[in-house]
Amino acid sequence: MDERVLLTINHMSKSFDGEEVIKDISLSVKRGEVVSIIGPSGSGKSTLLRCATMLEKMDKGELIYLGEQAAWEENGKCVYASKAKMREIHSHYGLVFQNFNLFPHYSVMKNIIDAPMTVEKISKAEAVERATKLLEQLGLSDKADAYPYQLSGGQQQRVSIARALALQPKILFFDEPTSALDPELTGEVLKVIKELAKEHMTMIIVTHEMQFARELSDRIIFMEQGVIQAEGTPEEIFNSSNERVREFIGKFQA
Amino acid sequence: MSITVMLMQLGKGMIVTAEIFFLTLLFSLPLGLIIAFGRMAKNSVIRTLCKLYISIMRGTPLMLQLIVVYFAPFYVFGLKIPNYRFPAIIIAFALNYAAYFAEIYRSGIESMPVGQYEAAEVLGYSKGQTFFKIILPQVIKRILPPVTNETITLVKDTSLAFVLAHAEMFTLAKQIAAKETSIMPLMVAGVFYYIFNLVVASAMERIEKALNYYR
Repeated sequence: MDERVLLTINHMSKSFDGEEVIKDISLSVKRGEVVSIIGPSGSGKSTLLRCATMLEKMDKGELIYLGEQAAWEENGKCVYASKAKMREIHSHYGLVFQNFNLFPHYSVMKNIIDAPMTVEKISKAEAVERATKLLEQLGLSDKADAYPYQLSGGQQQRVSIARALALQPKILFFDEPTSALDPELTGEVLKVIKELAKEHMTMIIVTHEMQFARELSDRIIFMEQGVIQAEGTPEEIFNSSNERVREFIGKFQA
Repeated sequence: MSITVMLMQLGKGMIVTAEIFFLTLLFSLPLGLIIAFGRMAKNSVIRTLCKLYISIMRGTPLMLQLIVVYFAPFYVFGLKIPNYRFPAIIIAFALNYAAYFAEIYRSGIESMPVGQYEAAEVLGYSKGQTFFKIILPQVIKRILPPVTNETITLVKDTSLAFVLAHAEMFTLAKQIAAKETSIMPLMVAGVFYYIFNLVVASAMERIEKALNYYR
């Protein structure tokens, strides 16, 4: 297999109450690639992300991280890897949520160092060193001792990016990272993501920010009604002849 | 009987009252958490049993429960347990209060946004780590006001131990009042309960303030 492929999704399907939200989706992501997933609300893009990060169990399909099977099909049912294996696979990726989901009872510093100390069992000194670097990189050095409620939405989202990066994931997922922010704060978060792209961080981003997706992505996936309607470079997607893609993108450019 | 002697006696009763109070909290707070877990368990047998338990404990008088816990071993099982009076009181109080605390825990746990669990899961925390590091500390902050309520009720409820004629403050106050044909001892006991609760309320307020460092 191709060594550069970090994530492979094969034939993923997912239903909620009999309604199929993801219909047989296959997709793979290579090291250093930035993939944006766009599409109307209810198209299944967030569910795809939640299934890929295993917050949601898929009904059918195969999920492979760095060549290791996280889930596969057995007798028509989806089976997940053992707990020990899952823990290892979990360490390969991070997820940034729409609503940040920071831990409100922890300071910014503690939010960032707790998972590496608890999960990776690294020393506090090492965790603090990592966190300090990340805070500096994300322009939050003066906020280490603040609590989440004392920060703006944009700052909170940057902390949550730092929290995910502190575990040194190979892939970072973003679930509409700027949807809970007003336009003024959106910019500061997008800037951080752009910087990560420059450092060749592998990222999969569900977003409504068309211009951002266009500038940043190596590949854009357009989803609708649970399937990938179109896939290609930003140029291909923005100049697509596909009726639905044109219509959707047109709405944002109007 | 001089006022001093009466105060001394009631003071002794107050110590017993405080014993019942602290021992009940010591046992019922953790027990309540376990019952809350049972009440939210996936297994429907465990869930139903815990629901029934809570329903019975909240639906029948504590005074009756005290009597049942004290007399049942002998009348039902023919067991004679030496020095059982005080343990019986603590068992009955702990079992009763655990039911109330279980419902308070449950309300707190269920009010936690699912995003907190999901964030912890994606970061790789185990279920136990998620609960004890992320969820429980926030639940404690949320449930402090109702817990304060229950705790204050407990201070007053300790007086129910008089049905088993244990020498806590209320039992003593009643005895002295009967002997002296005076209402004074009962009034004084009332003042003692009130002071006890002032201390409890201000202690709880301090804890609440201490947890106000975040929102």
